Amino acid sequence: MSESVSSPGIDPPSPTLSARLRELAGYLAAPAAGRLTEEQRALSLGVARRLVVDVAARLDPRIDPGLLWNEWLRGGLPCAARLAGVCFARAEEHRWREQSGQRTSPPPVLSEPETAHADAPAESVPLSDIDRAYLALQIADRRRFDALGNPALAIADLDGETFRTLLLDIAAWRLAEVSGDKRRAADLGDAVRVAIERQAEETGMAHAGQAYHEILGAELPGAAAAAIARHNWPTLIALAASAHRRAYDDMAMTLLTAETAALPSLLAPLRLDHAALAPLEASLVMLPARAVADVNNGE
Amino acid sequence: MSERIIRGRVDRSGALVSADTPLLRLQQRAGAGLDKPLALPHLARLVALAQRLHRDISRPLYAADDHSDIHALVRITPDADGASLEISDWRTRPVMQPQVPVIADSAAVPQSWTWECDQQLRLVALHAAPDAPAIPDGWEGRSLSELFELQPDEDGRFPVLRALARQSRFESQRVQAAGIAMTLSGEALFDATGRFTGFRGLAVVAEDQVPAEPKGGATLVDPAFGSLPLSDPQFGRRIDGALRGPLSRIIATAETISGQFDGPIRADYARYAGDIAHAGRHLLGLVDDLADLQNIERPGFKAARDEIDLGDLARRAVGLLGMKAEEKGIRIDAPRTDDRAPATGEFRRVLQVLLNLLGNAIRYSPENSQIWIRVDREDDRAMVTVADQGQGIDAEQQAVVFEKFERLGRTDSGGSGLGLYIARRLARAMDGELTVDSAPGQGARFTLSLPARDIA
Repeated sequence: MSESVSSPGIDPPSPTLSARLRELAGYLAAPAAGRLTEEQRALSLGVARRLVVDVAARLDPRIDPGLLWNEWLRGGLPCAARLAGVCFARAEEHRWREQSGQRTSPPPVLSEPETAHADAPAESVPLSDIDRAYLALQIADRRRFDALGNPALAIADLDGETFRTLLLDIAAWRLAEVSGDKRRAADLGDAVRVAIERQAEETGMAHAGQAYHEILGAELPGAAAAAIARHNWPTLIALAASAHRRAYDDMAMTLLTAETAALPSLLAPLRLDHAALAPLEASLVMLPARAVADVNNGE
Repeated sequence: MSERIIRGRVDRSGALVSADTPLLRLQQRAGAGLDKPLALPHLARLVALAQRLHRDISRPLYAADDHSDIHALVRITPDADGASLEISDWRTRPVMQPQVPVIADSAAVPQSWTWECDQQLRLVALHAAPDAPAIPDGWEGRSLSELFELQPDEDGRFPVLRALARQSRFESQRVQAAGIAMTLSGEALFDATGRFTGFRGLAVVAEDQVPAEPKGGATLVDPAFGSLPLSDPQFGRRIDGALRGPLSRIIATAETISGQFDGPIRADYARYAGDIAHAGRHLLGLVDDLADLQNIERPGFKAARDEIDLGDLARRAVGLLGMKAEEKGIRIDAPRTDDRAPATGEFRRVLQVLLNLLGNAIRYSPENSQIWIRVDREDDRAMVTVADQGQGIDAEQQAVVFEKFERLGRTDSGGSGLGLYIARRLARAMDGELTVDSAPGQGARFTLSLPARDIA
C-alpha cells in the first residue's frame, strides 16, 4: 500500500520509511493544515488499543490481547481508516473534558447544612423519570472508560459496521493463529455471529441520550444550559446528538471542530439563549490544537 | 489531625481584628488583612449565623486559596463586641483536579475495583482490575451502601458518610461486598459550578479477610462465668456477627438522616436521628466491650496512656446522654468549659466509664431531679465525680456493686450488670480507681480518679 508514495530507487521500503513518506505526502498535500499533536496521537492510539482488546476478549477470551496488539502495531491496524474517526472523536472529547476538569475552580465553600444539600432528593423518594434517564446516561458515559479511568470506546457505542469489521479482522488474525485446529476455527465463526447479535442488542450513549432528551420535554433548554454551565460535555453532546438524530461520536466531532459563530445554529434545537452558550464557547476556544475550520482558532 | 487551636477575633462590624498566623495568612491571600472585613465567605457566614443566633456554633469550615484547600473545624463564640473564633483540625491539601477520570493510584493497586457514584451515592461506574474478584451483576444505579455493606471504624464512625457531609475525600472505609471484605477510598468530585457530583475511588480487597484466631489458644477459665458464653473464646466473634451488622446499619441510617444528606428535614427530627446514631455508637462500643471482656480480664491488661481532660470528657458524656436525661426531666450540672482536670488515661475507655456512671445516675435518679458532675484534683490524682439524687446504695450493696452481674439490687434497669465491673477494671488498668460513696436516701457519688497530668 505504500508503493504509490515510495521514491524510486529506495527498494524495498522499510515500514518506517514507508510511513514517513506517507506522512510527508499528506503534509505536502496540505502544508497549512494543523497536524496531530503527540497527545492527540497517544490518546487516539490508547483508545484504539483498548477497543481492540475489548473486542478480542468478547470474541474469544483465549486470545492473547498483548500478542494481537503487538502484531498490529508492527503491521498496522487492518481497519485503521474506519477506526480513525471514532478513536479521534473519543480522544478529542477526552481532552476537552480533562481541560474542563483542570480549569474547574476548587470545591466551593459549603453553605449552611440546612441548605447545603437542598437540591438532593431523599434517597427513599423514588427516582423521577428524568433522574432515572440522567442516571442511565451517566452510566453509559462511564462505560467509556477503562478501570483506570483512561478513555475508551464502549462496544455498545460502536456503529454496527465498524464493530463487524473490527471483529472480522480480529477473527482473521485468530484464525491464522489456530489454523491447525478446525474445531476452534468453527467455534470462532459461531463466536463472531453471537458477538454481532449481542452488539446489535446493546444500547449505549446514543440510546441513553435519546431517552433523556425525550423525557426532558419542556425542560430541555434548562437541562442543556445546566450541562454547559457545569461543563458536563457528555450530556450536552448526547442531547445535541439526539436533537439532530446523529451519532454521539459524530456530534462530538462536529461540536469540537465547530467555529464559534456556528455554535448557536448548531445547538438551536436545544433552544438555548445566547448567554447560556458563553461557557461552551470559552471552553472550546481554550482547547489547544482543536481541528477547527478557522485556522486562527485553536491551531 | 492537628490539635493546635488557631484563634481569631472578629468585631461587631465583621472585621478581623486579631488572628493567629495561619488565619491571618489566609485572610491576606484572600486580598484582605487585619481590621478588614473577613474575606473568607464561609467563615464570614458562620460568624454572622452565630451572631444572629446569639449562641456558640461549631461547624466544619472550608476555605480555599489558589493552591490549596483547607478543611477545619471552627467554633464561634459570639459576644457583645463581636465573636471569638477557635479553629482546630486544620488540614491543608493541594487543590485536586476534579473530573480528571484517571485514577492514578489504582495502577499500583491489584485486587481492586474502581468505582464512581453520584451525589446520592448511586453507582454510575464499577470496573474490576484483571486480578480482582468479579463484579456483581446489576450494580448499575444501586446505592453504594447497598452494594458495599458499610462497617464502622474503631470509633464507630463511617468515613464515607463523614466525607459525604464534608464533601471531601475519604479512605479506610471498611465494607463487605459479595461476601468479600474490602476497603473503600474515594475523592469527592465537583463540576464547574462547584456543585458536588459524587465520589470516585477504589475498593481494595482487604488483606486480612479471615478474622484472626484468638491468641494463646488456652481457654480462660473463670469461676464466676462458668459455662457462660463469655468464657467462650469464640464469643466475641459471635457477638460481632449477630450484633455489629444490624447496629452498623442503624447508625449509618441515623447518621444519614441526622446529616440531612438527602435534603433538609425538621431540625428536631435531625436531632433525634443524631441521638439514635449516638446511642447506636454507644451500643456498638458496648458490644466491643463485651467482646473485649476477656482481654480486660487478661493478666497484665493495660489501657493506652492518652493525654486527656476529665472536664472535657465529662462534657462529652453529658452531650451523649443529655437527651436521655431530658426525657426524665433530669437536669445535669456539668463542669463548665473552663473546668479542666488534665489526666492520663485512654480517651475512649474513660469516656466509656463516664457514660456508664452517668447512664446509671440517669437510670436510678427520680424524675425532675438533678445530677452533678464535678472535676477536681487532689495531689497527683485527677478526679471526676458523678453524684445523683437517687435512692442511694447501702453499705452492703456498696461492697458488691463492682461485682460482675451486680445490678444495684434492681432487676428492671435493663443493664447487663457488667458496666460497673468493667468500669472499675478499666479504671485500674489506667492506674486509677473507681469508688462509690453513698447512703440510703441520699443519692450516690461515684468517683473516678486517674493519674493527674501537669500542663505547662
